[in-house]
Amino acid sequence: MLYVDGINAGYGRALVLHDVSLKLKEGEMAFIVGRNGAGKTTLLKTICGLMKPSRGSITYRGENTRGVAPEKLARRGVRFVAQDKKVFSNLTVRSNIELAAYAAGEDMPAAIKKVTSIYPDLQRFMDNKAGGLSGGQREILLIGRALVGNPRLFLIDEPTEGLAAIVIEDIFRILSRMKQDNVSALIVEQNLSVVSRLADRIFIMKEGKIIREISEKSEMAETSALESYL
Amino acid sequence: MIQTLLYGLTTGAILYFFAIGLSITFGTMQIINFAHAMVYALGAYFLITFLPILQGFFPLAALFAILAIIPIAYVMERFVIRRLYGESLDYAMIATFALLLIGTDVIKWIWGNTPQPVTDPIGVSFQLFGIDLPLYRAVIVTMAFAVFAGLNLFFKKSIVGKIVIAALEDTEGVRCLGLNVDKYFSIVFILGSALAVLGGVLYAPISSAEPYMGFDILLIAFAVVIVGGMGNLTGTFISAFVLGMVIALTGRYYSQAADTMVFVVMAAVLIFRRSDA
Amino acid sequence: MSPLNPDTSLSRICATKRTTIYRDMVLMAAGFLALIPLLAMHRVTDFMIFCIFVMSFDLLYGYMGRLSFGQMLYLGTGVYVSTLFSLHFNPNPILSLMAGVVGGAIVAGILGLIVVGLEGASFALTNLAFNQVGFFLIGSAFQKVTQGEDGISAGVEPWGFLDLANEHVAFGFVLLCLLFTFYMLRILTSSPYGIIIRSIKENETRVKFLGYNTFFYKWLTFVLAGAFAALAGTLYTLYVGFVSPVFIHPMNNVDVIFAALIGGAGNLFGAIIGGVLFMAMKDTLSTHIPQWEWILGLLLLVIVFWLRGGVTGLIKSLRDFLRARMSRGPVAEVKKG
Repeated sequence: MLYVDGINAGYGRALVLHDVSLKLKEGEMAFIVGRNGAGKTTLLKTICGLMKPSRGSITYRGENTRGVAPEKLARRGVRFVAQDKKVFSNLTVRSNIELAAYAAGEDMPAAIKKVTSIYPDLQRFMDNKAGGLSGGQREILLIGRALVGNPRLFLIDEPTEGLAAIVIEDIFRILSRMKQDNVSALIVEQNLSVVSRLADRIFIMKEGKIIREISEKSEMAETSALESYL
Repeated sequence: MIQTLLYGLTTGAILYFFAIGLSITFGTMQIINFAHAMVYALGAYFLITFLPILQGFFPLAALFAILAIIPIAYVMERFVIRRLYGESLDYAMIATFALLLIGTDVIKWIWGNTPQPVTDPIGVSFQLFGIDLPLYRAVIVTMAFAVFAGLNLFFKKSIVGKIVIAALEDTEGVRCLGLNVDKYFSIVFILGSALAVLGGVLYAPISSAEPYMGFDILLIAFAVVIVGGMGNLTGTFISAFVLGMVIALTGRYYSQAADTMVFVVMAAVLIFRRSDA
Repeated sequence: MSPLNPDTSLSRICATKRTTIYRDMVLMAAGFLALIPLLAMHRVTDFMIFCIFVMSFDLLYGYMGRLSFGQMLYLGTGVYVSTLFSLHFNPNPILSLMAGVVGGAIVAGILGLIVVGLEGASFALTNLAFNQVGFFLIGSAFQKVTQGEDGISAGVEPWGFLDLANEHVAFGFVLLCLLFTFYMLRILTSSPYGIIIRSIKENETRVKFLGYNTFFYKWLTFVLAGAFAALAGTLYTLYVGFVSPVFIHPMNNVDVIFAALIGGAGNLFGAIIGGVLFMAMKDTLSTHIPQWEWILGLLLLVIVFWLRGGVTGLIKSLRDFLRARMSRGPVAEVKKG
């Protein structure tokens, strides 16, 4: 459902991604693993439209989406969750969801149901300002926002970064649920425990290139080997 | 002294009408819009044009002036401002300044160079503590408060307002939800311009309409926005009135220094702010 | 390749630059001399003084990437300090000139401490605000000393053969100052300092992380820009002899910004070409059309949207285009500016 071919992308004259290619099947949950600065975030941003590749092509659900604006891609089901866990902090949690519902043309009750289904506790915070949420709650809100409407492809950047172990388990549970629902997802993640338990495929990135692709379950379980890439 | 206070409040009100558009445009699009000054002046001149047609009925002429600016603001936004998104700030400033130069000359062509006075539409005074004060000024101040309340409601309750508040903080996040941020910024730009026109319309009877009227207020409005915080709606409101009072009070004792005092205050705020951060 | 990579053979760059600098200076002197028959000597002198101002502005804007809407303040400081010095202390032209430049540098030094830490919009506008304050001080507050709007005559008297009332002497002296400014700025911008400045323009955080005190470099550039602007100001004093607040009026900032852009920012040649073009345009337009500011506006829009590099940018693209055409090889090497 997603086919990235030969992407070069960067900031100004500094090239970050060099000839990156990958394929993602429908219903597949793949993870991107690699050291900081390897280009993982840039790759996600390029796929979701926030950055434009200088070379290469991106095919999403059969359509060429290189250079297409992020809002258009979002309407076609691409959902990007950024690394900085930025929510609309001046709005309430409810309003955060409201914006997602408005954008997706979904009515509020359905939207709220989708969000609270992955984390019922969020119900308590509905009318609080989103800025007051903890890091883990924000990530959950962001994933919840991404579930609103008709999402087809999730691009999640470091969901467990900076979170406490207990919260990471919450995130893990949410991602498992999503996996059971057969979502297609490309997730950047440095927590190898999460990766090895959920991945259908692992892409290892280094210095702007994908250097390895692992699809064998046995290899994925070898977290110590994976660690060498971080 | 009461007079000075009222004048300070009036100045603050006009500053608020002008500055709020600047602040929002900067907060959303990261663009300093010098052309705002032109829109302000146009407001006053439209008023002058419409008044005789409408038999001197001020509120209607004011309304027409505001409506007249909407297409102009739309064209400005669509063809110039929008192209400046994401550009370096410098080019945005220079381009909008270029618009200001062009617009000012257009005004001079159509309406001429000499200042044109407008009569006080209310012309009635009221008494406060035994002093006669023009009612018109009190009306202006009240309108500023009304606009502030209205804007607050708009941004807090309406979906458009919420989108703009979200975009002020996280433009990318809004886009990734599927919303065309440009469209909303455009709406907000037009809204800001309409408010500037309102400011120009209301100010015209106090002073007069002249082609460079925008330039004078522009500078002070920048100080208002810098002090109040770019994109900070409440901050702009407060700083507009504070600086308005500074102008009035300084003007009372040393009239030529009034504007300068504003900049001194601005510099002081900047210094203190940096030492905090 | 990091712009701060010491392996870039700085000495090699500096060496080649030195011979090209001399060549450029000769070219410029020739250029200005060639303008005399076209425009009359006194106009060319005026143009040259303005070009010095544009160069000072370009140091700040083109090289360091900071747009200031208030450089007139420093020009004005140079003007008034030199004027008042000549009237109250010593009528010697060289001493007055130095007083003006030092005055400009000091003001830039003090205000720079406040301003230099500010970002884009705040920077531009705060400078404008200071300019406005300066204008007020000169025009109103210190009226007793400066005669306010009426203006005052400078008290500069000839010194030896340096009689600036003499057109030829004035021309020569201003030309010398222009060449000096060009030389100094060329050297500076090709030195390690210049590279740091340009790197700050590209990515200040990176420069900071490399251990440089970016605040100091920014401040230094600000002071230099102010000093050279003041130099231009003092030349006005010496040459024109009569000064008024118009020399410190904030609106005139448009002129120098426009000139820098039209010539091509970040490029000393661009500054000079821009300065000449602007002055020439202003002369022609104002004599034929009473209201010509809208033309300025239109041109600015054209530059912002289509001709970012100004005239020098245009020339560069043309040259690259011709080179590519002429080489006719499979791969034409197009040099990136």
